Amino acid sequence: MIQHAGMKKARIGNASLTIISGMIAIIFLAPILWSLAVSLQVEGRQITSIWDWFKPPYTLQNYPDIIMNSEVPLWMFNSLFIAVVATLLTVFLSAMAAYAIAKIEFRGSRLIFFYFLLGLMVPGEATIVPLFITVNGFDLIDTYPGLIFPAIAGSMNLIIMVTFLRGIPNELIEAVKIDGGNHLTIFFKIVLPLSKAVLSTVSIFAFIASWNNYLWPLLCAMSSSKFTLPIGIPTFAGTYTVDYVKPLTANMVASIPMIILYIIFEKQIVQGITMTGVKG
Amino acid sequence: MEIKKKKIRLFLTITGFIFPFLALYTLFTIWPVVQGVYVSFHRWSLMGKLDFVGLDNYSRFLGDKNFVGAMLNTLKFVIITAPSMVVVALMLALLANRESRLKKVLRISYYLPSVLSVAVASFIAQYMFAPYRGFINGFLHSIGTLLFNQELQWLQDPSLVWVTITSMTVWWTVGFSMMLYLSALQDISPQVLESAEIDGANSRQRLFHIVIPLLKPTTYLVSLLQLIACFKVFGQIFLITGGGPASSTRPMIQYIYETAFTKGRMGYAASMSYVLFFVLVLLSLVQQIMQKRSEKV
Repeated sequence: MIQHAGMKKARIGNASLTIISGMIAIIFLAPILWSLAVSLQVEGRQITSIWDWFKPPYTLQNYPDIIMNSEVPLWMFNSLFIAVVATLLTVFLSAMAAYAIAKIEFRGSRLIFFYFLLGLMVPGEATIVPLFITVNGFDLIDTYPGLIFPAIAGSMNLIIMVTFLRGIPNELIEAVKIDGGNHLTIFFKIVLPLSKAVLSTVSIFAFIASWNNYLWPLLCAMSSSKFTLPIGIPTFAGTYTVDYVKPLTANMVASIPMIILYIIFEKQIVQGITMTGVKG
Repeated sequence: MEIKKKKIRLFLTITGFIFPFLALYTLFTIWPVVQGVYVSFHRWSLMGKLDFVGLDNYSRFLGDKNFVGAMLNTLKFVIITAPSMVVVALMLALLANRESRLKKVLRISYYLPSVLSVAVASFIAQYMFAPYRGFINGFLHSIGTLLFNQELQWLQDPSLVWVTITSMTVWWTVGFSMMLYLSALQDISPQVLESAEIDGANSRQRLFHIVIPLLKPTTYLVSLLQLIACFKVFGQIFLITGGGPASSTRPMIQYIYETAFTKGRMGYAASMSYVLFFVLVLLSLVQQIMQKRSEKV
């Protein structure tokens, strides 16, 4: 009898925790759902209570309007172009350097590795003014290379790659060497295919970091033709003072690709977070 | 001869593999730090000649009440936000780790805001917290917590504004720390919990005497990562309040940014950057050391 009461209590406790966790999830999603709902509203509609934002009639018209009549598609192109180039270069160049450090024996390899470790200490946010001065010195302010290079110059990905590559058995590499393969063959035929998992995780993170990067493009992109979405959207939204519909639609245009990407790659993203957490 | 040729080949191979990354890393990660130190000893507006002033820039910011103010604002943000983040992250992870049909939905929902860019997250927050037409005041009106003629000034009131910034930051970034806790929770062996249950420990006792102590290394890690992240705060404050009302929320990075690009004082801005630089380097050193230690255990 007593045990029965205890179990009942536990079950009620369990159910209430489930309800609380669900309610928190709704709170977390509410701002995004609200933005989405607003972006589906007809412009200029009379809103008397917040629930009106969620009520029909809905329209998809705001999306083509934004895409046809604003600079948003250009900024989207810039964001996409910079993110894709930065991701490919980061992954490829750091994998190459990591391969040499992890798998080719040479004098000074430890020293170079240590030199790359130093980079983990450099807080990008605190060196933003010096970085601006450097990039300005190369005449790269307001150019694509100026926007891309600093994004691929961090050593975090390299360190992750070195740690991973050290785990690849040397026998595999020796076997290719005996068959007459050089380091390039080893790199492309053995190392890259074996590192698929880690490369995809690193890529997703590099892509999201570039897509969402704010501080550096804020300084580096001067003309609106070089803006990325995070820089352009606040200036775009600033031209609307009362209306919520168009600015929030623009925000949704910037976010929907990320949301879809996240839902597709949820597993890799979770793995990546634990990896960065463990590796520093 | 043969050996020498081989050596040259090896050298070329290694250079080919390492050089592209090495060059970019040196030019865009390391060199700015060095050049910034040089610039910080000068008066310079990005154009014209550098005017050597020695340590003047460094002695100046100690008496600059705007800089001290920005530093205190940053500290305030760190003190309020970092602990909230750790507590909320742990709570969410515990909720999302329970066996239920919602498990995956919960994890995805709690992390989803983290994929938004700071511009989007800030923008949405600004509209959510706006008086008169904003979602939050509207919600409080509709459930009757707020009278119809009352408006909470989430962005103007000097203390409410911190509630706005902190809750927005937690909402937007807590997902990352939650994921770290979640993976640590999955490493706790079910046997430990089961045997505690058999010994008669109730769920609260199991949580406080077994689970939370076992999560200690993760708590250290999350706390340090959050401290570092909070010291770097800029985007959301810049976008939501612009540092206001009356510079009361302006963080260090914003003041450095304004000194460099509004006032055109590069040397002074660079010298201030190194204060933040050393705080962050110190924290990340502590983090590395603690991580090494916990990996050994």
